[in-house]
Amino acid sequence: MSMAKETPLLPVEDVREAALFFVVGALCFLAALATLSAKSTYGAAKSWTAEVQGELTVSLPDVDRRGADEARKVIAETEGVREARVLTKAEIDALLEPNFGSRGLPDSLPLPQLVAVKADPAVADMGPTIARRLTEAGFANAVDEHADWAGDVRRVLGVARLTALIAVALLASTAVAVIAFATHAALLARRDIVDVLHLAGARDRFIAGLFERRFWVLGLRAGTVGALLALGAAALMIFTVQAHGSRAGLLPELSLDFLDLIILVVTPVIAGFASRFAARITVIRALKGMM
Amino acid sequence: MTHPRYDLFDDVAVRLDSVSLRYDTSEDILSDIDLVLKPGSFSFLTGASGAGKTSLLKLLYLALKPSRGEVSLFGRPTSNLTRDQLSALRRRVGVVFQEFRLLEHLSAYENVALPLRVLGRREADYRADVEELLAWVGLGERLHAKPPTLSGGEQQRVAIARAVVTQPDILIADEPTGNVDPEMGTRLMRLFLELNKRRKTTVIIATHDLGLVRQVEAPVYRLANRLLVKDVEYGPDTVARRRTDPGKGI
Repeated sequence: MSMAKETPLLPVEDVREAALFFVVGALCFLAALATLSAKSTYGAAKSWTAEVQGELTVSLPDVDRRGADEARKVIAETEGVREARVLTKAEIDALLEPNFGSRGLPDSLPLPQLVAVKADPAVADMGPTIARRLTEAGFANAVDEHADWAGDVRRVLGVARLTALIAVALLASTAVAVIAFATHAALLARRDIVDVLHLAGARDRFIAGLFERRFWVLGLRAGTVGALLALGAAALMIFTVQAHGSRAGLLPELSLDFLDLIILVVTPVIAGFASRFAARITVIRALKGMM
Repeated sequence: MTHPRYDLFDDVAVRLDSVSLRYDTSEDILSDIDLVLKPGSFSFLTGASGAGKTSLLKLLYLALKPSRGEVSLFGRPTSNLTRDQLSALRRRVGVVFQEFRLLEHLSAYENVALPLRVLGRREADYRADVEELLAWVGLGERLHAKPPTLSGGEQQRVAIARAVVTQPDILIADEPTGNVDPEMGTRLMRLFLELNKRRKTTVIIATHDLGLVRQVEAPVYRLANRLLVKDVEYGPDTVARRRTDPGKGI
């Protein structure tokens, strides 16, 4: 007689395991998506804040175009300023278009002249320095440092990132709890097998190993499906954003890079380990109740 | 028990010192039991239904902890052993459960081989032994059959084969011939006696079957009123009967 392959000591429980597979897969999908979102948000914030670092806008309320040009020269001569440029009427109209529509502003409406400044981000107090020099030169002015806005954006995005990380942690904990619950149910359902193995002299780790292997494979498979679904969802979002071009300008720039793929590859491995860990702890604790 | 009466190096297979057992808050099921089984001894345990035979056996195969007293196996008190040490002791004890406890998703062959898998033995190393053992209990043609397709007697024989496949130092059997015909019962008893004589396996069999008890010259312990007594009815009688009527033995 040849016994090609030993029958697993734990019988396969199709219905129960299909339900658990679905739950773990869904949790992995959500966790992977939350992680990708957190990373994407962080990347977008970093890129945007780096872009506006060192940028300033100087508003000159009481001057005409020629006066603005003289003020620009004062600004350009300030140490640390790399570039200063007076915005054209068309550029100012474009800036105000969201508030006043596309037909432009009447010439009679008094508007300040605007100077866009790019300065060395490493030089401190650029805004107050420019404001002081303009005042000394006799120009009323208001200086807006974009970095002030960037700080606010960073804080908001920091909270968003933290929220995403908490979501990932909660999803992972939920997965562990669900698997622990499922292991406990499987243990109760298979109490007869556990008893026989126990009384045949099987050590606790031998019995736990049976459940660990079962749930490790389940976690790995379910995690893979969840990660693939997350990849699909992310790809769909990227495709949609790219298809709508400038209309999606408020969204962070989305892409899938190497790190994203690492996240997706690691997700099933973490799910597998979490499943294994939950199963081991549950079984060992339950066996402690037996002599 | 206030003073455990055991010796670490006792030459005993099983020793119970003032053992009592109760479940939850109920009354004692077993009370103040003392028992010594020497290595290589053969004993019967009898008693009415509900007398506590199965509970006593559970204490012997370390499925239950006594509420009071001490259970020692091979001279080792079990109350303070680690879980791994308890597992090591259990490996030296073969058990035939009253309700068989076969794993339904495994074949007869795999059920018998189960303790060997637990021991980490390779299938190639034990295959012939398991097949031979199953053939000996009359199941050579039913190696692949799953328990639900086996009769009660066949399941019992698989359970017995599983209990003895590792050639344990102690064999504990709870009503091992309850579901087999007299001829098979006699064969199984012969297997137990062979294990006892050739391997010096300590055997204790719980049974209602007084006919079975009378087949063997062996001490009989009887549980009654939560107490264990060495029965005077069957033990000496058995010897006397066998001396005058040798044809009655196995």
